[in-house]
Amino acid sequence: MNRYKKVPVCIGFLLPVFLIYTIFLFVPLIQSAYYSLTSWNGVTEKVFVGLDNFKALFENGDYWITFWNTIKLVIISLLIQIPVGLILAYLLYSKVKGMKIFRTIFFLPVVIAPVAISLMFSLFYNSEIGVFNRILEAIGLGSLATNWLSNIHTLLYAVMVPQVWQYIGLYVTIFLGALQSMPEELSESAQIDGANRTQTFFHVVLPEIANFTNICVILCVTGSLKAFEHSWIMTGGGPGVRSAYLGVYMYKTAFVNSDFGTGSAITVTIVLLSLVITVLFNAISAWREKR
Amino acid sequence: MRFFRKSWKYQVSTIVKYLFLIIVAIVSLYPFIWVLISSFKDNNSIFGDPFGMPVKIAFENYKEVWAGADVGRNFFNSMLVCLATLVILIIITSMGCYILTRVWKSTFLSTYFSLGIMIPIHALLIPSVLIFKKIGLTDNLFSLVLMYTATNISLSMYIMNGFFDSIPREMDEAATIDGCSRSQIFLRIIFPIAKPGIATVATLAFLNCWNDLLMGLVLISSPQKKTLSLAISALKGSYATRYGLLCAGFVISIVPVVIMYLLFQKQVIAGMTAGAVKG
Repeated sequence: MNRYKKVPVCIGFLLPVFLIYTIFLFVPLIQSAYYSLTSWNGVTEKVFVGLDNFKALFENGDYWITFWNTIKLVIISLLIQIPVGLILAYLLYSKVKGMKIFRTIFFLPVVIAPVAISLMFSLFYNSEIGVFNRILEAIGLGSLATNWLSNIHTLLYAVMVPQVWQYIGLYVTIFLGALQSMPEELSESAQIDGANRTQTFFHVVLPEIANFTNICVILCVTGSLKAFEHSWIMTGGGPGVRSAYLGVYMYKTAFVNSDFGTGSAITVTIVLLSLVITVLFNAISAWREKR
Repeated sequence: MRFFRKSWKYQVSTIVKYLFLIIVAIVSLYPFIWVLISSFKDNNSIFGDPFGMPVKIAFENYKEVWAGADVGRNFFNSMLVCLATLVILIIITSMGCYILTRVWKSTFLSTYFSLGIMIPIHALLIPSVLIFKKIGLTDNLFSLVLMYTATNISLSMYIMNGFFDSIPREMDEAATIDGCSRSQIFLRIIFPIAKPGIATVATLAFLNCWNDLLMGLVLISSPQKKTLSLAISALKGSYATRYGLLCAGFVISIVPVVIMYLLFQKQVIAGMTAGAVKG
């Protein structure tokens, strides 16, 4: 009796969240996958073309330029954000005065809209005001000064800098949380056994927080694969697609060139890439734990 | 002997450590301070002395960008969308969470709701435009509310689940014996106790809505309906060379987020790293 009494309550309470989630997240997701198999400009009838969109994409030079731009961002983010985040977190962990103030400051850029950050950096790069160029001159590197967002050699990296800079604080905070959750006796006993700080760090601390490192790597990779705003606001992805990531290329294809089929195909490659990488890293971490 | 060696080395390493932390702090903070200072200057003084203080504190840039560029309206639009999203999101997810954690534990539904954590917003752009065209909500702020709600459900439920789970079951039982119905238990007991979890969800969802650009870019077209991020991205085109104005627009757009961050730092950090802990 009691079992059936709760059914109407369950349905009533679950229905709103279930409907909104299904209609506006799950169904569009399936539709995206389906659109990627069609040729369609959003107005005329959809024509089912199978995997033709993907074939065309993989033969398209622009797709590969944006693909490699995205991979470059992934690699640079991994090489900078994770080590710097870890080092800063370890420094803050080692009983620093004002730890909370430092953490507050480091995390601040993370909460600001990427749009705003991009606007700010386009002012810094601007050749008329030239904040960056003047700072370079001040520290004696004036010869490096250039027009960052139009010089073809610096363009892509100039677009990457704000994004890499903005999210370091996220990793500092995650690593700091990981370090604080670590039992204190661990590093103490290592030091009593005669290990110095560097040894303690590599042989005791790093293995202990391996799971969090794994999470940070996944976050960093999936975050970079989704990159859009910084490139879109600062350069519009241009010239051509020189400074565009996959996200920007997708947006341009679908909403500037009204090619919804190809746009969806690009989306599918982004989603698949993040899924594959996440599953891969989770498998690696599960395997490492078992050993 | 040992004491001296340690103290000398210790002091040097401490100084190096603090120096490094302070440099990083400056690199994190100074860009914002530069923009804040420049927002009070006109072009001449930005060019002439980009690193100096403004000659006098003038609010002309703010007045012009707020009224002239209509940023005030965009600010209001963003607030409206964010608050509506928060209200709907919190009501529906807390109701769903209550059932899934305490009344009917369905692994299938829990897994279904957690799928969304993995989905980038990109995957929803094209279909969402068509869905809203179909139901007549093209260029309507409510379409943003619906999409922001949908995209925040997964993570919100994940965060709330933890808080709901930590409330002892005996509370429900005692309330049932006292004659409370399920909805009364939810409204009078569970919801108030889960407030910290709800606050975390709310701060995170607010940041996500306030900071989003992509959804707005595809769903909103008329200028008077634009959200603040859309307006800020447009400022760059229309005021390309009025740097003081751009800086003022920037400051206006980040003020609510910065205030929120300073007031609710604990919740903001918990929310933004919750996705990480879930992995």
